[in-house]
Amino acid sequence: MPGAGPGVPKTRSNATPTSPISFWDAFVLIQQLVNGLTLGAVYTLIALSFSLVMGVLGVLNLAIAELFMLGGYFGFAILLARLPLPVALVAGMAGAALVAAIVERIGYQPFRGAPVVTPMLSTLGFSIILQNVATNVWGSDPLQLSDEVLSGRFNIGPASISAIQLVVLSVTVLLVASLAFLVQQTSIGRALRAVAENRDVARLLGVPAGRITLIAFMLSGSLAGAAGVLIGVHYAAITPYIGVEVGLKAIAVMVIGGTTRIWGSLIAGPLIGIVEVMTVAYVGSQIRDFVVYGLMILILLLRPQGLLGSGRGDQSQRV
Amino acid sequence: MLRVRDLVVGYGAIQAVRGIDLDIEQGEIVALIGSNGAGKTTVARAIAGLLSYSGEILFEDVRLKPNAAERNLRLGIALVPEGRGILGTMTVQENLLMGLYTRNDKAQAKLDLAVIHQRFPILAQRGHLLASLMSGGEQQLLAIGRALLSKPKLLLLDEPSLGLSPRMTDTVFAMIEDLRRDGLTVLLVEQKARQTLQIADRAYLLETGCVITTGPAKGLIDDPVVSETFLGSRTAAVHR
Repeated sequence: MPGAGPGVPKTRSNATPTSPISFWDAFVLIQQLVNGLTLGAVYTLIALSFSLVMGVLGVLNLAIAELFMLGGYFGFAILLARLPLPVALVAGMAGAALVAAIVERIGYQPFRGAPVVTPMLSTLGFSIILQNVATNVWGSDPLQLSDEVLSGRFNIGPASISAIQLVVLSVTVLLVASLAFLVQQTSIGRALRAVAENRDVARLLGVPAGRITLIAFMLSGSLAGAAGVLIGVHYAAITPYIGVEVGLKAIAVMVIGGTTRIWGSLIAGPLIGIVEVMTVAYVGSQIRDFVVYGLMILILLLRPQGLLGSGRGDQSQRV
Repeated sequence: MLRVRDLVVGYGAIQAVRGIDLDIEQGEIVALIGSNGAGKTTVARAIAGLLSYSGEILFEDVRLKPNAAERNLRLGIALVPEGRGILGTMTVQENLLMGLYTRNDKAQAKLDLAVIHQRFPILAQRGHLLASLMSGGEQQLLAIGRALLSKPKLLLLDEPSLGLSPRMTDTVFAMIEDLRRDGLTVLLVEQKARQTLQIADRAYLLETGCVITTGPAKGLIDDPVVSETFLGSRTAAVHR
C-alpha cells in the first residue's frame, strides 16, 4: 500500500491548509443545496409514487415515469390557457390519476396472479405507448412556457431561493404530509396497508381488495402528476422524454431508500437531489447519471434493504 | 342457516375437497374434525369466500358466490383463518379498527369496540403495541375480537388452538361456548378432537376430502371411526 512503507512522505502534510472558506464558495454551496433539495423534492414525490404501488402489490409500475411526464403536459395545458398554478396542479394530478386507472385496469388487473414480471412488462408497454402519444400530440420539441408563472426571488443569507423553488418545496411537503395522514390515520389508509400485508386477510375483513388496488394506482398516479407539473414550471419547459430522464431516476431513489419502506424516499429523495446537483456543480454533468445509478447498484450490492430497511424478513410496514 | 351441497374444491390437479354436504343450524357449534390434510381448512376457506369451488353454498337462503369474501362478510360470515391472520405491521388497535371496516353505524361500532375492550382487557392495554409483538394466545384473542366487530352471524374458526398452551386452549374453548350463549353460530375446525367434541353440538369427520362420519358430537367421542382416525391406526392400515 502506498503511504504505508517507509520513505513515503506522510499524507498529512499534503492536506490543503485550513483557510477560511471564501464567501463565494459558501454562497455556491448553499445555492446548490437549495437547488438539490428542489430536485430532490420532485424525486421524492415520484419515488413515493413508485413505492406506493410496489408496497401494495409488489409490482414495479414502469408507466409511472410517463404519468409524471403526462402530468406535466396536463398542467402546461392549463397554464397556457392562462389559468392559475393551483388549477394546473390539480389538473396534472387528476389527469395522471385517470391514466393510472386505465393502466391498472388494462395493464395490471388482467395479470394479477401471473408472475410479477408480467405486469411489469405490460406497464413497460404502456410507458412506451404513452411517450409515443405525447410525442404525437405535443411534438418532440420542448414545450415552453412563454412567460414565467411566478417570478421573484427571496434572499436567505448569502443564497437565494426562487418563488418557484419555494412552491416546489412547499407543495411537496404538503403532499407528503397529506399522504402520510391518509395512509396512517384513515380507514382507506388502513385498508391499503392491510392489502399490502395480507390480501386474503384484508378480504376476510371486508376490504374490496380490487378497488383498493385501483385507489393505490390512482393515488400513485396523482403524486407522479403533481411532480410533473412542479418540474415543468421549475424548468419552464417540458418534453416527452422527461419521464425517462427524471422519472426513471426515482426508481433509483426508491431502491436507495429501501423498497420495503416507502418513507425511505423521504431521505433518499433529497439525498439524491443534492448528490446530483453537487456532482454537476463540482465535477461535471457528464458523470451525473453514473453517480446516481452507481449509488443505486452500490446499495443493491451492500445494503439491498435500502438505507431505511431493516434486513431480511422485514416485518416493518410496507405502505 | 348454512347449507353446503356437493362442495368440490381443487388446487390445480389436486382435489382437496371431493363432494361434501354440510349443514349448520342457527345457534349451533358444529365441529369439523379430521387429521392434517383432510380438507378442513379448504372447506372453511370456501365458505368464507376465499376460494373458487363448484357445488352450492346457501347462507340464510342466499346463494353464495365463489371467491367473494367481501360479500360473504357483509352477509354475516366471518372467518378467523388458520394462523390467526393478524396484521403484524399494524397496532393492536388498528387491527380492531379493521374489524369495523364494513360497519356504517359509527356510534354503535364505537360501543361494540368498547365491549370488546371490556371482554379482552389485554387488547385495550396493549392497544398501541404492534400486533406481531403479542403472544400467540393474545393474537388469537385479537383475531376473534376483530372478527366479532364485524357483527357476524356465523363465525368460522380455523384451528384456534394451534400453537397455544393447554391453559390458553381452555380459555379459547370456554370463550367459544360463551359466544354461542350470546347467540352466535360457530363452525369450529380443529385437530384436537376430544376437546372439540366436548363443546360442539354436532360434528363432521373429514378424511381425504370426504365426510366419513357425522352426528351429534357427544356420540362421536366414543365412535370407533373417530378414535381410529385420531389414533392413526386407520391411516397406518392404509399405508400397510
